[in-house]
Amino acid sequence: MAVNMAALICASCGAETYEGELFCENCGAAVPGTEQTGAEVEAAAAAGADGAAVAAEATATAATQPIEESPLATTCATCGGTSFEDGYCLVCGAPAVRERDHWLERPAGWVAAVCDRGLRHRRNEDAVALSAQSQPGSYAVLVVCDGVSSSMDPDIASLAGARAARDLLIAEPDSGPSVAGRIRHWTDRLTAAAAAANAETVDVARHPTGRPGERENSPPSCTFVAAVIDGPLIVTGWVGDSRAYWFPDAGPAEQLSVDDSWATEQVLAGMPREQAEAAPRAHAITRWLGVDSPDIEPRCTSITRSGPGWLLICSDGLWNYCSEAADLGLLLGQTARAQDGDPARIATELVNWANAQGGMDNISVALARLDAVPAP
Amino acid sequence: MPSFSAEVFENEFISEGATDVHAIVSVTCTGAGEAGKGAGGEAAEIIIVDTSGSMLDAKIQAAREAAAVAVDQILDGTWFAIISGTHVASRAFPYPNARLSMVQMEPGARAAAKQAISRFDADGGTAIGSWLRLAAQIFDTVPAATQRHAILLTDGQNQSEKASVFHSAIESVAGRFQCDCRGVGADWAVSELRQVAQALLGTVDLIADPASMAADFENLVRQAMGRGVAEATLRVWAPQGAQVLFVRQVSPTVEDLTSRRVDVNPLTGAFPTGAWGDESRDYHVAVRVAPQPVGQERLAARVQLVVRDEVVSQGLVKARWSGDDALTTRIDPAVAHYTGQAELAEVIQEGLAAKAAGDEATATTKLGRAVALAEQTGNEEATSKLRKVVDIEDAETGTVRLKRGTSKLDEMALDTASTKTTRVKR
Repeated sequence: MAVNMAALICASCGAETYEGELFCENCGAAVPGTEQTGAEVEAAAAAGADGAAVAAEATATAATQPIEESPLATTCATCGGTSFEDGYCLVCGAPAVRERDHWLERPAGWVAAVCDRGLRHRRNEDAVALSAQSQPGSYAVLVVCDGVSSSMDPDIASLAGARAARDLLIAEPDSGPSVAGRIRHWTDRLTAAAAAANAETVDVARHPTGRPGERENSPPSCTFVAAVIDGPLIVTGWVGDSRAYWFPDAGPAEQLSVDDSWATEQVLAGMPREQAEAAPRAHAITRWLGVDSPDIEPRCTSITRSGPGWLLICSDGLWNYCSEAADLGLLLGQTARAQDGDPARIATELVNWANAQGGMDNISVALARLDAVPAP
Repeated sequence: MPSFSAEVFENEFISEGATDVHAIVSVTCTGAGEAGKGAGGEAAEIIIVDTSGSMLDAKIQAAREAAAVAVDQILDGTWFAIISGTHVASRAFPYPNARLSMVQMEPGARAAAKQAISRFDADGGTAIGSWLRLAAQIFDTVPAATQRHAILLTDGQNQSEKASVFHSAIESVAGRFQCDCRGVGADWAVSELRQVAQALLGTVDLIADPASMAADFENLVRQAMGRGVAEATLRVWAPQGAQVLFVRQVSPTVEDLTSRRVDVNPLTGAFPTGAWGDESRDYHVAVRVAPQPVGQERLAARVQLVVRDEVVSQGLVKARWSGDDALTTRIDPAVAHYTGQAELAEVIQEGLAAKAAGDEATATTKLGRAVALAEQTGNEEATSKLRKVVDIEDAETGTVRLKRGTSKLDEMALDTASTKTTRVKR
């Protein structure tokens, strides 16, 4: 299920602008208020309308996958107001954010994720996708994909990829009794999920949005991290530098994933960690999902938890400000106490904290609260 | 059909922690049509002429001619009256014993009005407040005339009225009609007429030579008759927690509108702007908002023009916090220009006041600064008027010497011109 986010294009200068804006921020021209639906875009292109819109390629895919606008949120993300005019909140003047710029998923009371644009980026290229059964600690799937900004249409790729991976992981639960069997099952499923996400990036590469400013010579790419909670078993797989952590209530904080990054590989090769992480290429990722990826098979790891704790998966928009597992564990613990242990509120507060540190990147935080393991 | 457009000039990028946003909102009206002919209701015009004793000879003769010329400009159908003002105000036309206080212009009325004007005689004192009150009363007798304008001519100071009486008269008529004020000769007080003009959304100017009075009146009435939009209001919305620091008209004349604010709702203020013809006016709006982190954007103000409760045009003033010095240190040329003009008006008035008080040092500094600003902003009218009061050694640095024996008229000309602005050269 690929979702093409066709932004509104200014008819005068071709710059990206947003639904609801009266005037183009780039050239000041008035923006006509109509939404650009896929059909309209195609028709305009077919009619050869002069500069009217940059057409997304009209293909068979367009017929089956509707091009949607990322709708504007109806509630002001800053003050909670519900009235907007000209794309600005009528109470506090904050710009109406697109839903993609900040959204919360809460499939059950014990699992939640927040995905946020951060402060510095013009759009949110991160995505999250969750699923969970209502019984706490029983079954859940958490996926985070971080679109590579220097690639083409990364926001489309990450959202499509995260959702495809989630959908595949929930399609075939395994209720077999053998723990080893289930580890094997989930590892295979995670590999298939990464492949499904990758297939989405390939699809996006084949059907570019054609938005002005997209890096046409760099195919859509994103990272991938997914965690499956199956009772006490947690299996996680990743490609890239989005991370999974396990924070037991009693016991040391643990980063489950190992970044596919230049710094990590240098450290493995023997370079001191501080030196590696200070190098300019430290955060360059060495594996990712995308047409040009060297290797899309996720590395996987599994743990069987023995006590209560928090499972966290996140993009580097969070961990760049708090990289060591122990530090992040402390931050999470403090936040959890202040937010009464509610995963949705905690995820929101962690995003706020990352923005307060500077919000240099898009931020994704997905959390699951796991309580005491029931006695067998 | 009148149509309005608004354009916003600003540098929306402000630095981290900055709170103040400045914008010039340029509002243009086209297709205004003639006064009283549109959907806005009928127009009314009153000519108020000072017939006090000091108006002898050349001045009263000029006043008669000017009033007659003004009457010629008043369009048929426009309600009108003429007031002759001394220490009391009396209605010269329609005749004092006439049943109606105002009549609609038509050839017969025009002829009769000119007859009445020809009988103007200079005799008595000056009580401008009473003239204003009579004008307001006369306008009130024709409720259908919603577009109300007057010209007021005087030659002297308001000697027959206490200042408190004058001020309370101004307050009581404010909002009931617009009034352009003219002072002839050198014996009137610019500050007195400026108070009337500001309260009544009009202009004030000096008529140095009585012979030019007719041409000036002709222009004033023609302009009033060309204002097909009876009333427009500027509405300024700022977000919760923000403060509108000021709203100033900066072109064609400088007027601080801030004190005219009427609250529409807790976040929006309305500022009356009077009648509009085909013209363009620039407003300087300054808002103080709570600073947001770099990368955030806020709408700092929404400026709307409202005619008969309908928003006919609007401009958005935005604030975007940025860490990029190259972006935040730029000043929008229009903002820079008008900030300079407002300062120019201030230093001229302060310089003249210092000179009058005998403080030559301050006068030299202030008028020197005025010369420099006028030079920078290309305000040639101000420069030529400044030259009558100071000798300019270096215009760029504002090095000047006060002239000895300047005429009072030249100083008054400079004072009244101080609030006229040049437009931004685009």
